[in-house]
Amino acid sequence: MLGRMESTYDVVVVGGGPAGMGAALGARDSGADRILILDREGEAGGILWQCIHSGFGLHYFREELTGPEYAQRFLEKVIDHDVDLATNSYVSGISVDSDGTKRVRVMNEQQGLVSINTKSVVLSMGCRERTRGSIRIPGTRPSGILTAGLAQKLVNLKGYLPGRRVAILGSGDIGLIMARRLILEGCEVVGVFEIMPYSNGLARNVVQCLDDFDIPLHLSTTVAYIHGRDRVEKITVAPVDKNFRPVMRRARDIKCDTVLLSIGLIPENELSLSLGIQMDVITGGPRVSSTLETSMPGVFASGNVLHVHDLVDFVTRESMLAGQFAGEWAQGVRRPEDNIRLLPGDNVRYCIPHTLSPEREHTIYMRCKAAMKPCRIRVGNLMEKKLRFVVPAEMIIFKIKPDLLDKFHGDSLRIDILPATKGKRHGKG
Amino acid sequence: MVKAKEYTCIGCPIGCPLQLVHKGSKITEISGYECDRGAKYAKQEFTDPRRGLSTTVEVAGARWKRLPVKVTGPVEKGRILEAARKIHELHVEAPVKLGQVLLKDLMGQKGIDVVACRSIERSG
Repeated sequence: MLGRMESTYDVVVVGGGPAGMGAALGARDSGADRILILDREGEAGGILWQCIHSGFGLHYFREELTGPEYAQRFLEKVIDHDVDLATNSYVSGISVDSDGTKRVRVMNEQQGLVSINTKSVVLSMGCRERTRGSIRIPGTRPSGILTAGLAQKLVNLKGYLPGRRVAILGSGDIGLIMARRLILEGCEVVGVFEIMPYSNGLARNVVQCLDDFDIPLHLSTTVAYIHGRDRVEKITVAPVDKNFRPVMRRARDIKCDTVLLSIGLIPENELSLSLGIQMDVITGGPRVSSTLETSMPGVFASGNVLHVHDLVDFVTRESMLAGQFAGEWAQGVRRPEDNIRLLPGDNVRYCIPHTLSPEREHTIYMRCKAAMKPCRIRVGNLMEKKLRFVVPAEMIIFKIKPDLLDKFHGDSLRIDILPATKGKRHGKG
Repeated sequence: MVKAKEYTCIGCPIGCPLQLVHKGSKITEISGYECDRGAKYAKQEFTDPRRGLSTTVEVAGARWKRLPVKVTGPVEKGRILEAARKIHELHVEAPVKLGQVLLKDLMGQKGIDVVACRSIERSG
């Protein structure tokens, strides 16, 4: 029920975005009884409300929806399934009693600071955006420098334009989508500047958000200086050398009043860290078992707080699974511990989950370090799978069947992405 | 006269570079694609390029100042800005229901409507 918050639950879900809503529904499917979602915003749904472009739901609903449509459909399901949902509720800490009960401290404007007991917890806090501080752009500190997602919130929910003449640093998908968005709202976009030699966004976004509106994309180029006293007045942009350092003798100035940053996301894991959970330094999220359980028994994690996903549909699928296992845990199910470690090998940046069990089928989520085509994924000496291509911007998803693991007796499995044919030369293979 | 146009396929993340050769309005050759989607896309882009469109309109009496909306069918690529300007003239009052039609037959195009992408309650 909307707005209801009791003192005891089976499953408490921290964060009411797509991950949290999926986890709550998964927990309901598992048969868990009392389920609560806590969200610090005024309404659940997370970032979806401001992602007004379409491209959501193709996998889960089999139709192309905008972010708000996806959010509303899910929110209605959550309410229909009798999940309690408390908004304007900020989780300030989680602790674990000696008997394993979790105590969630919540700040809420009606009830003040309250403590809720629960058998299991799903962490689904999502990400926040990297800011100017994380890449240390030299220059003054005028107003008009903001992250692309914040600009998206201002434009799409609050009805403010962040500026008139906008430069975008970083070619992540949010930055590309905001370039088009600002053009539609009557702004001028002077260019998108990307330090890497390739775009970080999907090809369709480069075509439909930039090319369609003649917005230039400058690759291997960065913002070397921001000028302006009270407001951004201009930026100095420069091509970068092979060590990504700006080549100042080829720098030039561009007039603009706003700089949007689309330079990546950071999983919001303060709660995970305060619980002393083991983390993965590559993903920035918790290490998880094949039941998406963290190193703290009864605490699960899913969605962008675990690793950054490309599609909300994948967040939903992963989170429903996390919710199911969290719900099982609350009902006393204890599955045998995983006994196989999954290790990233050649051209693999990370893989999730971190461990496997021969007990059941697993879905593996992973990312490559560099583009390669055609190629094959090799899982130890158990299986090989051919792929037409891999690119860092697209998550690789595949399944490992339990009968394969049955015959496996080692304690770790290494995953490699290798060129498709032996002996054939590839660019960087 | 034989001319060539270049496109980037948007069918998948590979983004094949496509080349379309044409004589006037007649396509003589499409190349560069790795699957049929590429050929289809290049043909569509050459003959009648269209785009989906979503934006926001002003909403009064609600939690937020803006309401997300979309058009129910793709709009000619060359008229996207015109379509956006037309949609931005709309002002609606909360409450609004998801799917509610806010404008029928956008720019005179039969069956292309502007609809609300969420419900929004009236709030104090």
